Amino acid sequence: MKKFIKNIMPIATGLALVFGATSCVKDLDVDPLDPNMSTEVSAEGLFNKCYANIAMAGNGGANGDCDIDGIDGGTSGFIRQMWNSNELPTDEAINGWGDDGIEQSCFNTYDESHPMLNGYFARLTTGITYCNQYLNIAADYDATMTAEVRFLRALDYYLLMDAFGRVPFSETLAKPVIMSRQEIYSWLEEELLTNIEPNLSAAAPKKSSDSGYGRVDKAAAWILLSRLYLNAEVYTGTAQWAKAAEYAKKVIDSAYKLNTTSVNGWSAYQMLFMGDNGESAASVEAIFPILQDGLTTTSWGTSQFLCAGNFDSDMHANPNDPNGTNGLSGQVWGGNRTRPSLIQKFFPNLDAPQVPSYEMVVAAGDDRAIFDGVGRELNNLDRATFKNGYAVAKFINYKSDGSSGHDATFMDADFFFLRAAEAYLAYAEALTRANGGKATAEAVNAINAVRARAHATQKTSYSLDDILDEWAREFYFEGRRRVDLIRFGKFGGNSDYKWQWKGGTYAGRNFDTYRNIYAIPASQLPTYDNVQNPGY
Amino acid sequence: MMKQVNIQFPLRMLALLFGLFLSVGAFAQIDVKGHVKDATGEPIIGATVRVDGTQTATVTDFDGNFVLKANQDANITVTYIGYQPQTVKAAPTVEVILQDDAAVLNEVVVIGYGAVKKSDLTGSVAALKPDAKNKGLVVNPQDMLSGKVAGVNIVTNDGAPGAGAQIRVRGGSSLNASNDPLIVIDGLAMDNEGVKGLSNALSMINPQDIESFNVLKDASATAIYGSRGSNGVIIITTKKGRNGMKPTVTYSGSMTISAKKSTIDVMNGDEYRDFIKNMYGVKNADGQFLTNAEGQYVDTDGNTILPIYALGTANTDWQNEIYRTAVSHDHNVTIAGALKNLPYRASVGYTDQEGILKTTDFQRVTAALNLNPSFMDNHLTMNLNAKGMYAKTRYAEMAAISSAVFFDPTQSPYGFTSQYHKDLLGDKLDQTLRNFNGYFQWPVAADYDKDTTWPYTVNGVASMPNPLSLLYGRNEHANSRSFIGSADIDYKVHGFEDLRLHLTLGADVSEGKQYRNEQPWYPKSIYYGNWGDEKILKRNLQLSTYAQYYHDFNDQLKNHIDVMAGYEWQHFWRDEKSDYCGYYPSTSPRWIDPMSINPETNMPYGNAVNERPHTPYHFRTDSYLVSFFGRANYSLLDRYMLTFTLRNDGSSRFKEHWALFPSLALAWKINEEPFLKNVEALSDLKLRLSYGKTGQQAGAVPDYSWIATYTKNKGTDSYYPVAGDGLLYRPDNYTPELKWETTTTYNIGLDWGLFNQRLTGTVDVYYRKTTDLLNYAPTLALSAYRNQSWQNIGSLENKGIEATISWKAIQNKDFYWTIDYNFTYNHNEITDLNGVSSDGSPVPQTKDVKIGVDRYLEYQQVGHPINSFLVFQQAYDQNGKPIENAVVDRNGDGIITQADKYFYKSPAPPVTMGLASRMEYKDWDFGFSLRASIGNYVYNNIEQGMANVSPTEVWKSSLLYMNNYTHEAIGRNWQTYQITSQLSDFYVHNASFLKCDNITLGYSFSDLFKKLNGRVYGTVSNVFTITKYKGLDPEVANGFDSNMYPRPISFILGVNLSL
Repeated sequence: MKKFIKNIMPIATGLALVFGATSCVKDLDVDPLDPNMSTEVSAEGLFNKCYANIAMAGNGGANGDCDIDGIDGGTSGFIRQMWNSNELPTDEAINGWGDDGIEQSCFNTYDESHPMLNGYFARLTTGITYCNQYLNIAADYDATMTAEVRFLRALDYYLLMDAFGRVPFSETLAKPVIMSRQEIYSWLEEELLTNIEPNLSAAAPKKSSDSGYGRVDKAAAWILLSRLYLNAEVYTGTAQWAKAAEYAKKVIDSAYKLNTTSVNGWSAYQMLFMGDNGESAASVEAIFPILQDGLTTTSWGTSQFLCAGNFDSDMHANPNDPNGTNGLSGQVWGGNRTRPSLIQKFFPNLDAPQVPSYEMVVAAGDDRAIFDGVGRELNNLDRATFKNGYAVAKFINYKSDGSSGHDATFMDADFFFLRAAEAYLAYAEALTRANGGKATAEAVNAINAVRARAHATQKTSYSLDDILDEWAREFYFEGRRRVDLIRFGKFGGNSDYKWQWKGGTYAGRNFDTYRNIYAIPASQLPTYDNVQNPGY
Repeated sequence: MMKQVNIQFPLRMLALLFGLFLSVGAFAQIDVKGHVKDATGEPIIGATVRVDGTQTATVTDFDGNFVLKANQDANITVTYIGYQPQTVKAAPTVEVILQDDAAVLNEVVVIGYGAVKKSDLTGSVAALKPDAKNKGLVVNPQDMLSGKVAGVNIVTNDGAPGAGAQIRVRGGSSLNASNDPLIVIDGLAMDNEGVKGLSNALSMINPQDIESFNVLKDASATAIYGSRGSNGVIIITTKKGRNGMKPTVTYSGSMTISAKKSTIDVMNGDEYRDFIKNMYGVKNADGQFLTNAEGQYVDTDGNTILPIYALGTANTDWQNEIYRTAVSHDHNVTIAGALKNLPYRASVGYTDQEGILKTTDFQRVTAALNLNPSFMDNHLTMNLNAKGMYAKTRYAEMAAISSAVFFDPTQSPYGFTSQYHKDLLGDKLDQTLRNFNGYFQWPVAADYDKDTTWPYTVNGVASMPNPLSLLYGRNEHANSRSFIGSADIDYKVHGFEDLRLHLTLGADVSEGKQYRNEQPWYPKSIYYGNWGDEKILKRNLQLSTYAQYYHDFNDQLKNHIDVMAGYEWQHFWRDEKSDYCGYYPSTSPRWIDPMSINPETNMPYGNAVNERPHTPYHFRTDSYLVSFFGRANYSLLDRYMLTFTLRNDGSSRFKEHWALFPSLALAWKINEEPFLKNVEALSDLKLRLSYGKTGQQAGAVPDYSWIATYTKNKGTDSYYPVAGDGLLYRPDNYTPELKWETTTTYNIGLDWGLFNQRLTGTVDVYYRKTTDLLNYAPTLALSAYRNQSWQNIGSLENKGIEATISWKAIQNKDFYWTIDYNFTYNHNEITDLNGVSSDGSPVPQTKDVKIGVDRYLEYQQVGHPINSFLVFQQAYDQNGKPIENAVVDRNGDGIITQADKYFYKSPAPPVTMGLASRMEYKDWDFGFSLRASIGNYVYNNIEQGMANVSPTEVWKSSLLYMNNYTHEAIGRNWQTYQITSQLSDFYVHNASFLKCDNITLGYSFSDLFKKLNGRVYGTVSNVFTITKYKGLDPEVANGFDSNMYPRPISFILGVNLSL
């Protein structure tokens, strides 16, 4: 036994030495080495991210990573999916790409497994979590910034409620509660009135060279309130026309104005959608511009999509640049086209000529008819034939001063998510509706202001249907049409209004009212305790 | 003939076994000269010769001779693996003839942290010593395993030089995490993350240096590797020198000629011209085509018809253009021997493998050094290994392969031959051709910031670029270096020899740097070009130590125990950098002369001002694995054996670091029972039962995923400047609740041998269930920072049967014939996806199998194998012909929707088999290997891509280009392109196959120029494939046949020499 111990002791000592490395167990509590990662956060960096969620797919530019999964990064852009949700199922737009989901949107046959709508849902809810995180850790950093992040969160909740009805609600990183449309409506109203509007900076238009450009101020809160109230009947069953008018009027009376300056032959309206819209006079209308820059802020899903998605290589939007297309090089994806029902808003007899966009506005007598008809059919006979349907040449990267963009591939043009013209039409519609469907003088004036800017003829009276058409003329392809059609009862359900491929037939047919609200994405049903929206 | 069998382990084990009983004697001694040979008269090299009762021992030399001193009446015992020990009386000259033993039974098998006699194994372990003679084209060690081991399915990625492979042991245990087995090289557990130019851990070693593979399959064997054992373990032992060995120099070299086997049957130029004319041409009443005065085809209005007008005048076989007959060679020089007590082996190897796709090749230099000295009467043994590798791989743009299938055969590779292009380009033709570096491309008007030197560019929106320009316009190559070093120190405690202490220190340092240079005329980065590189460096360190106590009680019941306990620490560190950038050409209005002075700094601008936006990338990560493990073996009566293993793994990748992985196994040597002992024919019969749990997390869980962090924006193009400098901080999703996937394995195995082991075999039946699968699955909105994350949800199972039969059909002095056959059946089924799919709907595999952006083919669904095809059912007419654009309304609701899709087969074969045979007659040897895969299905995406031959598809009027088609597609003449018919089972084919991997004929010679021994051989590799599959190759790992680098047929001439 002694020998045993004598032998075993040194061994044990040796082993103990080696196992002294057992302190290596502490190695398991690692700190990240990744230089891209940080356990610390800068309030400004997180603040920027809350905004950037609307402008860029992820943290690495157009071709870098994507904040959300399950959808192609370039396709996942906030604006692009808002556009797909609100334009493709309507009388304005159709698209010929084969990507899963496009046809279902164009034909109003979407369901709970729609990849793009699921991506939209994820983009909105992910944005909310970023805002929640900011508000949880940096609410004391700066009162104005806090109000802005609250606004961004409210905007996400608003769009989520508008598209999907009931929303998951949480102000922290936690399992959400489900709110009905009525509940989230009330929360939004309270939040905007109490926590957001009073703390935002004063309404003042800015140019990109001014600090604060790209950030929201009180005007953004007013216009979102106005939009909430204008659609209150859809959301809650109770109309709020007076409040809608009230908040629209605040914008009209603010320093934000319709841009009426034209430069170098570019119309005042066209200048809102050009490469230098943040620098030019157009910025006076930009209540909430989403920043893009060909070198420093790039995305396939913001103005890039609105421009390239509509252009093909045969189109030339600039009469001074006959070989150029849209101010970019090779960015011609050609899938989005108009449905004839949109052209009809400008050419009631559907006699739009097959001419380039700069001649189309002349033929229409309206600066807003920026359509290209060269070599194109008006009708969408075949969804997948890219020349079936006139194209929209409204979003371009040319600069009104004739200079080049920062980059040949990516857009400099900002996207005016909220712009002053909305207040005019919202004001007009609210007054008209409150007045039993007859436009008041103030309503007529508001509409005429918008039309005058576009050099369209002014009229002395407008019906509600006229106002719906005016919404299309002013805002087509800006990502809001579905909402307007629903408010006017011309989307799902029995309606006298049909457009080509509505409901999936060439002649158009009605589809059920339940399709006014999208299906809860299948993957999110557990969040909703497995209760799907009615009809799906 | 030489017997090349490693004796390292036998020596160590013998020392272990008999060391105790040796004692020193001192009597009058004589010199004993002896010769050892086998029953056929061949000398046995390296046999151990020992004087009984002493420590005097030696090893036979290359001619089977030995000399030692012994007492006059001492007994001398000669042992050699695979033979029965023989004892003779000491005499001045002795001749020993060793008889074949039921030899393999005593073969030593390497298991985790130790080695055991095969006869004592309780787990399912397949040992493979590569057949040095019957082998095909071996560049990567995986090539030696393919088809040779039951339960191991290896599908090489493709035919590219230096290509990796998908290796699956028993079907893989994971859905979304890695299914790659753990690879252990000389005691070092490798991580399976490659670096640039190194496809997997196996590619770091020269196959010529490999002594043996041991594949651990059941939990009894793999549980000692705990959290990394679920996908099986492949242990590689490299060759060593031997004690007492005379210095031996060997050279092996080979020359290989490879060629493509077949091509896709598309139209040639003349056929294509006829096809286009007939499709678009307008005929008059006489059936004659309308032409104008210049002979151009016109429509009734007299307008030229664009597609016909755009036809070139050439007859280009693009698939011929991109491939070549490739010449490769391979050289290895080894010197092995022993300097006193220091056995050594050093080798250098050089491989130059040319790919059959032009521009691709692979060059590799390897060097390996092994020293395994022993000290203090063999109490202290060391095994030092250093392996270095340098490889250079040149890659090609793989799109060239599909482009060559689709590209218009009437266009010349160089220049514009069509009247349409000549007219279109006009006086810009020469300029355009210069811009395209002389290559034909489909041109389209350009707009590069009004750069007038680029009036036209490559029509890149939808058309395929010229395949040759894809190959030559890009130079992408990887330079990779790796060093694997390990030191094994084994100490048998003095005075307490039953106890061994073992220490392994190891390091794997690898670096891969991949460079890319895309010319401004390279069609995929036309005008701006693209330059850059990507560098990956990894440094993995390992320390393992264990103590083993081994005791034979030598009592009546033959009690025997073997207990091992150990500790291991591993650190995995990895750094990745990349930056790719395009530049404004000097003709661009944006170009700034780098030498001109920047007024702001008064310094020259430098070239950075001409860089286009780019995203430099830097990533660094590390993880630790700390483990405690132990194993206990107990055997009774040499018949009943029990093994228990336990490993406690701590990983830095999980917040809850620790998890336990146990296993238990029993074995019963039935043939040792009295009632069978007299059955002469039965030489082995052992039943094995095992149960155990193993883990798995590789390929899924990021290193720091349990820590709350933020990610900053990367690159120059993702700033959002509304506050401060526009930096972004994104909250990262974190998952502190994650843990390992757990696989529970049950295994029943039977080893059997007949006729003194002439006919042997094993049968294993297993059931493996993996729970807590790591799935990248949807999160609940607002409760995570990302809409999907890694979660432990779901389960799947594998059930299977494996069998091997090995038959030494003929064994005599002149003729030797062995046949080895293995069979594997594996059934994989997903049993639970709750949480991944909330409503039970199928979950798409979105990684690599899709059409367009997001049309997926393979889905996961409960009750089906992993990655099963979810497709529409093609409708057929009464004659069995497929109906165009018609799929079956399976749910009968009158419309075709996603709900009409159904699960149809999967890419993984349920049954695989391998058959290898070698015959030797006198100096000649002949061998071949066959491999079969039954029930694997493949989606033929090339066929699908050509299905629509409608006029609007063939000539894309808005894009102004046209593509080629197969004769079959033309014959079918379909005119539509609906998503439902793209996703039809029509394109999913049974791709079962029988492949002949290699046939070899060799001739061995000895004593040439007195001392030179060697062998010359000729081999054909990838000889033939028998299959009904109509694509180029039925062997497609992911089941999606698209754009695959074809596996060539190779003819190898080689020679081995030893001195």
